[in-house]
Amino acid sequence: MGKLVLYGVEASPPVRACKLTLDALGLQYEYKLVNLLAGEQMNKEYLLKNPQHTVPMLEDDGKCIWDSHAIMAYLVRKYGKNDELYPKDYHKRAMVDQRLHFESGVLFQGCVRNIAFPLFKHNQTEVPRTKIDAIYEAYDFLESFLGLKQTYLCGNNLTIADYSMVSSVSSLLGLAPIEQQRYPKLSAWLDRMEKLPDYQSNNGNGAQMLIDMLSAKITKIV
Amino acid sequence: MGKITLYGVDASPPVRACKLTLAALGLPYDFVVVNLMEREHLSEAYLKKNPQHTVPMLEDDGACIWDSHAIICYLVSKYAKDDSLYPKDLLKRAVVDQRLYFESGVVFTNALRSITAPIFMHGIKVVPKERIQAITEVYDFLETFLKDNDYIAGDHLTIADFSVVSTVTSLPVFLEIDAAKYVKLTAWIKRLEKLPYYSENSVGVQQFFGLIKNLGITVEA
Repeated sequence: MGKLVLYGVEASPPVRACKLTLDALGLQYEYKLVNLLAGEQMNKEYLLKNPQHTVPMLEDDGKCIWDSHAIMAYLVRKYGKNDELYPKDYHKRAMVDQRLHFESGVLFQGCVRNIAFPLFKHNQTEVPRTKIDAIYEAYDFLESFLGLKQTYLCGNNLTIADYSMVSSVSSLLGLAPIEQQRYPKLSAWLDRMEKLPDYQSNNGNGAQMLIDMLSAKITKIV
Repeated sequence: MGKITLYGVDASPPVRACKLTLAALGLPYDFVVVNLMEREHLSEAYLKKNPQHTVPMLEDDGACIWDSHAIICYLVSKYAKDDSLYPKDLLKRAVVDQRLYFESGVVFTNALRSITAPIFMHGIKVVPKERIQAITEVYDFLETFLKDNDYIAGDHLTIADFSVVSTVTSLPVFLEIDAAKYVKLTAWIKRLEKLPYYSENSVGVQQFFGLIKNLGITVEA
């Protein structure tokens, strides 16, 4: 097996989704920090590997892959002992894919990046209330995706959809706490995810970092 | 093979990505129009099948699948004679996947829906400057992705082309694609226009343009 390198920062939700997956697969990897606020992702070397200049990026034996969802799918396909984390059955996989694209679009772009980017890049420290409402709309959807008797997002088995979703959801709790009464299933799912082995080091600590960064910089919800 | 049913409207880019894929695979299907203006996607029957109440939605073999990217991956995996539209090679697949997630995140959510949601849901008539910047960002990235490739994910047609072209050909109603600046992007669109089934996209693009123009939408100066 060649060398695995994960490029990223702790605060980044998609980086943490990859960390959760690498850990679940029992994979050893080198972690290389890319200081986003210092613009390291715009270095010539990094751009050659990833012209979208985002994190996370995975290097496997010198080959570069980016986008957390693509990385997670690749890792399970290549290194998973079985297909539980990303089922090969077409219908089951379609459900995981839908959850992953929901995270990519509605949650990460629509909620996380839509607040974080103007805040950190353009100093827009006043956040429109509509952007907070959008988080609750996403939570409403997640509550509906979680069936009455199901343990995880796609059924009773953990999949990479859970890792992807929890990385973003956990980062938004400062702006939009999840009340158990309002979101009984989502709240129970989050508790379950937090109890995963090594959750704190793979996701929890980084999520708290992002929560703190957001709360330190946001001055007002308008 | 059971009956395939696609639910949607032609104006919707992700619906068109599915129509392009179904046509490429030569698959017959029923098309059921879901009148979004009449809130048909919010009916109890639709919500039971798709709690995210979006289009497109696919019914096949008794199951309901939604999100265009999930649908097109499913269709190719299940019905294609070979894997060229969604390569099984892990690294090639990872590139197609990245392009698909780029579409659902950066292109559809950040560039298109961030403009259309306020228009269709809140009657907004003016597109803010930063939303135009988000479209420029998309065109810039796609030009880069196409630097050494004839197709969006490499040297041949894949479902990533269907997914990206459906949205990218819808964005020019807000910001035209400068052919002098975006040489590769323009050439790629022309290349796809030559596909025998390209009308599965072009008809809907015209409908989408018509919708926006009829609403009298302008862009912040």
